[in-house]
Parts: sequence; structure tokens; C-alpha cells
Amino acid sequence: MKFSSWFKGIRLPRPPMAAPPVEMPAPEKVFLPLRQHRGAVAEPRVEPGQAVKMGQVVGASEEFESATVHATVSGKVEAIKQVSDPAGQLVPTVVIASDGADAWAAELAELEAPFNSAAAVTQTRPSRLLKRLRESGLVRAAVQGRPLHVELSPPMAPQSYLYMTGIPVMRPLDTLIIKAVDNDPPVSPNLACLSLAGMQLEMGVAALARISGARRVILALPAGADSSGLLALARANQWEAVAVSQTHYPYTLDNLLVLRLTGREVPSPYGEPRDVGVVVEPLITALDVGQVLASGRPVLERLFSVSGQVNKPQTFRVRLGTPIGQVLQAAGGPSKAGKIIVGGPMMGLAQYDPHAPVTRETEGVFVQAPASVQHFTDQPCIHCGRCVSVCPVNLVPSDLGKLCEFQHFEAAAEKDLLSCIECGCCAYVCPSRRPMVHYLRHGKSEVLARRMES
Amino acid sequence: MNENLLVVSTSPHLLGRITLRSMHLEIMLALTPAFLVGLYYFGFPALSTVVLAVAGALGSDYLVSYLTKKPAHPEDLHTALIGFLMGLILAPGAPWWLCLLGGALAVVLGKLLFGGLGSYPLNPVLVAWAAMALSWPAGMNRFLEPLALGTAGDWTQAQIPLMQLKSDISTLSGVYEMKNLWLGVVPAAVGAGSSVALMAGGLYLIIRRLIPWQIPLGALLGAAGMALLASYTDPRIGELGLEGLAARLDVIWFHLATGGLMIAAFFLAPEPVTSPVTPWGTFLFGLGVGIMTIIVRTWGSWVDGAFYGVLLMNLATPLLDRIRPRVLGKVVTGA
Repeated sequence: MKFSSWFKGIRLPRPPMAAPPVEMPAPEKVFLPLRQHRGAVAEPRVEPGQAVKMGQVVGASEEFESATVHATVSGKVEAIKQVSDPAGQLVPTVVIASDGADAWAAELAELEAPFNSAAAVTQTRPSRLLKRLRESGLVRAAVQGRPLHVELSPPMAPQSYLYMTGIPVMRPLDTLIIKAVDNDPPVSPNLACLSLAGMQLEMGVAALARISGARRVILALPAGADSSGLLALARANQWEAVAVSQTHYPYTLDNLLVLRLTGREVPSPYGEPRDVGVVVEPLITALDVGQVLASGRPVLERLFSVSGQVNKPQTFRVRLGTPIGQVLQAAGGPSKAGKIIVGGPMMGLAQYDPHAPVTRETEGVFVQAPASVQHFTDQPCIHCGRCVSVCPVNLVPSDLGKLCEFQHFEAAAEKDLLSCIECGCCAYVCPSRRPMVHYLRHGKSEVLARRMES
Repeated sequence: MNENLLVVSTSPHLLGRITLRSMHLEIMLALTPAFLVGLYYFGFPALSTVVLAVAGALGSDYLVSYLTKKPAHPEDLHTALIGFLMGLILAPGAPWWLCLLGGALAVVLGKLLFGGLGSYPLNPVLVAWAAMALSWPAGMNRFLEPLALGTAGDWTQAQIPLMQLKSDISTLSGVYEMKNLWLGVVPAAVGAGSSVALMAGGLYLIIRRLIPWQIPLGALLGAAGMALLASYTDPRIGELGLEGLAARLDVIWFHLATGGLMIAAFFLAPEPVTSPVTPWGTFLFGLGVGIMTIIVRTWGSWVDGAFYGVLLMNLATPLLDRIRPRVLGKVVTGA
């Protein structure tokens, strides 16, 4: 880690030790949005009134950037209607009323395990593995995550933003980072799964490495947590293991993690880790991959962490499509919620309504009581430079914030507004308590909208 | 209103504990040791200077807010901080009306006229100080001989060491012990005498990350380097037989300890609104302050180089802010 970045970012309180995930009973009704990732909306493959079984396909698409959606309970399709997802977007959604039987679809009910060891996975052709992942509709467990088969397939052509130096670059993937740290503690599903290291994880990682072609596997382990199981696995498989501080926010975000572990700078503003030959997958996604390969069935659950001011903060194994409010009830419920934030306290999205469903993109929810809801002010920027000293991507947020506040969006864009990663460190340290992220996000959307027009 | 409504806002949903009020309070706390030293050596005149300056600042803030029908913001403590700093850089023997006027000028001329907190281009305290130093030099230079608390005696007027140095170079060798210069047992402004106390407060602010460390470092480096260079141009030093590096180091220590350089380096130059924000910008800003300080002291007709240095570098702040760090991962085009 570079010396100068030690002083950047902010120090958050250490997240509480997470207990292993707890199974949550299936809800009476599930809401399955037909888009749970970045990309195209799937088309419904069921009719209202139709009986469905668990694992049956309810939505699929011919589009490449789209993931198959499966029924997560058995029962009857009640309706297909527009429901707002955790990101606040209206998405066509299949509503299934459960019959309580939890019966698997016929073709999935009795299956032989397709793979029973990591060695078997490594000897399988990557395209076969990829096909399985695509059928199972896995999505990278992150906000704006892409379907896993898209994430792992090589791009059709070099990305246009890499042409800037005049040389088309297409770098083969050579490194796989399995991220056992969380973006935004204390929402920490990865931390809760540290103890689940076993055969399935080994198979999951082997499959990810096999498909992507990565020869080097790096485990990013949370410093100070008990990760002995993962370490033993890493030794057995010759993966590298690096301890990463959980409290030094935002150095657990993908691009910064790549910089830290491999020394490669992800191009900004449009770059992705794959442009420098790295693919980053969360631990929970690797576990999902392992489960798909071991069972042959799609994964119908999501590891969903409930934290903050609830009675029993806990990580749950929740059926996809369960309304978030019900998960909160299972966690003892907030006595009185001020803010329900999907994602984490620093980058999450506050919900206006606790009925949005758990989707494949969501990692967890953070609850704030009304008394601890923070307030921004409209005080002027005092130019103190604290935001500059913490910005992990070396922007000058004070300047950008002022430019965006007074709608000089193009001037802000020239000062690298689009490189902002919206981590929120600038707002966290601002003595004037300005809504920095709000200004910058507004500016970014305006700039992108104008560029689309022209 | 529905009690169960949820709050929706943009991220982040956690904010640090710092506010404008807490920040200004901490800066005042950091100034307290220097103020206490001032009180110890200059007694009641020091106390009245500071109290009057703060009163002038707060009173004028209220008056302007009444006249313009705009709300004043005394709760963020910025006006109080301006008054406090004003009092600390005034001579303890300054007449009462000058102290009041100092606080008022700083707030009205320095801060409010430009649009209040966040908008002024020059350090408001120093704007007022410069205006008064040019208009009423006699009152501004009424420094007192230090008289430790509890010692009997009358206040006698005295010259500050820098002034003495200007007229008589032999001040360097003997009149003041180096220890007294650093502890503040010399004729000096109320809070600008004790370099040690000011450095302690400044270090606290750096550790709390309330001021960038580059500005004080740059200012001290710049002043030390320039003092060394300037000492070679001063023929009187050769006449005194002050040859050799050790003697020249004494010149450097003398310049660092006196004339308000420390309060300028740690409190006036890093004033948030008027100093740059980027790492190299802040360092060059500090360096400029240090160099200007010695230039004014050596070749100018005034000796308060530190304050003029800060004012001058404040003007360069927009320029220095153009020195931006490289954005992480930015693809260099056309290279």
C-alpha cells in the first residue's frame, strides 16, 4: 500500500463480529423483479395464475446482458406488475404466492451432483462452466452488479476509452481477487461467511479462475477477523492471502482493492478491473458459484445482512424476492426506523418504503433510528481542504461541489468530475456538512445526459 | 404527519463529528496556551486587549446583521475566533479603541464585506491589522516589557526584538537569551510571543487534521532558508564577527522565534478560506509565506514580515489551487 494513501480515506469504527448466516423461513409472497442487475430486463415466461415450482424459470431473455430469474418458492403466480426495486426503479416483477410446500421443479427435484470436487471443475471446459452459470442466473453480489456470465466472458472488442493512447488494449484476465472484505461495513455478508470455507468455496473459486483464465488467485481477508478456515484453504490451493483493513474506508472498494493488491491502476473514469487484467468477486458470489456447481440447482437465496439499530443484527439466508421489511422483522425489527438504507451507511440507498424486495444485487440493509439520522446543511464551503486530503482518487471535491452547486457542469467535468467514485469521504469530513455526494452525483448525471444528447 | 415515514436522503448516511462550531472551538483551544503565556507576562493589558477585540468583532457582527437585516451566525464561533486572533496579534499596550476597532474592522472589512464565511479572499484578521498598522502605527507599536504575573512594577514601553535587530545588529548577541525568545519573555504581541506554546497548539491542529501540515512546514522551511541566504547579504554580521554556520544558525533561530512568524505559520496562514487546498499548493503557499516574511523583514521598512507575507500569499491562493494532484487511474491523452 502506498504511503500517501495511508492518510487518505477515513477510519470507520470496527464492524461488530458477524455471526454465521441464519436461514430465514420462506415468505408467503415473493416479488421477483425481472432485472436484478445492470443490463436488460428479462421477459416473463409465466402467466398470472400459473402454478410454479421452486427453481422454475419465470423470466429469461435472449439478450446477453441479462440473467435468468427463477421462482424461489412453489405456488401460484399472482400477478406480473411494476414494482419499485431497492434502487427505486420500477421494474416488471413476478409476484408469486407461496403454497408452503417448497417443492422443487421436476427436473431439479432429483439430481446427481454435477461436480463433486474442485479438481473435477478444473478439468471441465470453461464454456461448459459458463453455460451452467448462465442457466443459474447468477449475478455478482454488488450494487449495479452484472450477470456473472457477462462479468467473466471476454469482451467482444477493446473498450473505446482505452484507445486514448492510440493502442487498442485488451488485456487477458490473469488475476482473480476473492474479496472477503465488505464494501461498506457494518453491512458485512462477506464477514459473516468467513466460517463457510469448504468444498463449495473451493469449487466456486476454481470455477471462477477456470472461466476467467486467471492464474493468480488472491484472497483479500479482513484484518483482525478469524479467517483460519480460508487461510487453510488458501494454503492447500496455493492462493495468496492478504489481510486488508476493514476500518480503512473506502480501500475495500473494487478499484482501490485492485490497486492495493496488484499495484495496477484501473483506468478512470470508465474503466473496470478487467481492463487491467483483474476480476474481483465477492466471497458470497464465489460461494453461490460453488453451490450451483455442487447441487446443479440455481441459487434461490441471497446472503443478506441486517445491521444498525435493529434488535438483533444478523446475516440471513433470505429467499430472493422477500420484502426487506420482513427481513427486518426477522432481525427483531427496529423499534422505530428513521432510515432504512440498502447497501451500507456510506454508499447505500435510503428507501422510502420497506417493501422493496431482496434482489441479487443487494448485500444488506443498514437501519438508523430517527435520532441518529444525520442532516446536511446549506452552509458555504469554507475551502478548508479536508475533502482534498481524504479523497482516495485525488480529486478536489470542494471545487467540484461548488461548480456543481452553481451548475457549471462542464467546468466540473474538465476537472475530472466523472472520476468520482461517490465513496462519501468528502461529505463525512466536511465541517460545513455540505451534501457533497449529492452535488457531485447531480453533476455527473447532468454531464452524462448532455453527452448523450450531443 | 405520518409517524412511520422514512427519511430519504443521499449517501453518506454517516457524517463525521466535525462541524464549523467544533472546528473553530478547537482552533481557539489550540490558541489558548499562547494566550495564557501572554496573560502571564502582560497581565491585565493583555486580557483587556483580547476581550475588547472579541467584543468589537461580535458587536459589529450584530450591528451589520441588524442594518442589513441578514442573520448573523455567532453560533459557528467564526466571528469570535476572528476577534480572538485579532486580540492576540495586537500589542498589549494598544489603546482600548484600537482593540475594539480591530475586531470590528476584521469582521466588517475583512469578512462581511466580501460575503461572509467562505467568500473572503484575504485573511480578515490581517486585513484589519494591516489597515491599522498603516493608519495608527504609534498605537500598534505600543509594546510592553514583559512582567511575570505577581511581580511588582509598572508597565514600561519597549521595542520588539526585530525592531531592535533592524537598528542594532548586536541584539543578536546578548540582549535576549535564545530561550527567552522562544518562551516569549520578550516584548511582543499578546499571543504571538511564545513560539513554544504556539507550536504546541499548531501541532495539536495538525494531528487533528484541522490544518494541513504542509503550510507550517513550508513557512518554517522557507523562513529558515531565506534567513540563511539573507544573512549573507547583511554586511553588519561580518563586522560583528558572526562568521561560521553556528552563528548563522543563531540568525535563523532568531528569525523563527520572533515577530509573529509562529502564529502566522500555524494559525493565520492555514486559515481555511484563504489558503489553498491541494497538497503541493499548500506547501508552496507556506514556502511563499516564509520567504516573504524574511524579505520584508530584511529589505522592507516594516518588520512584521510574517503578516504581510500571509496577506501577499493569500492573493496567490487561486493560482496555487490550480496545482492539482494526478487523478487516480486517469488515462493520459496524447502523451
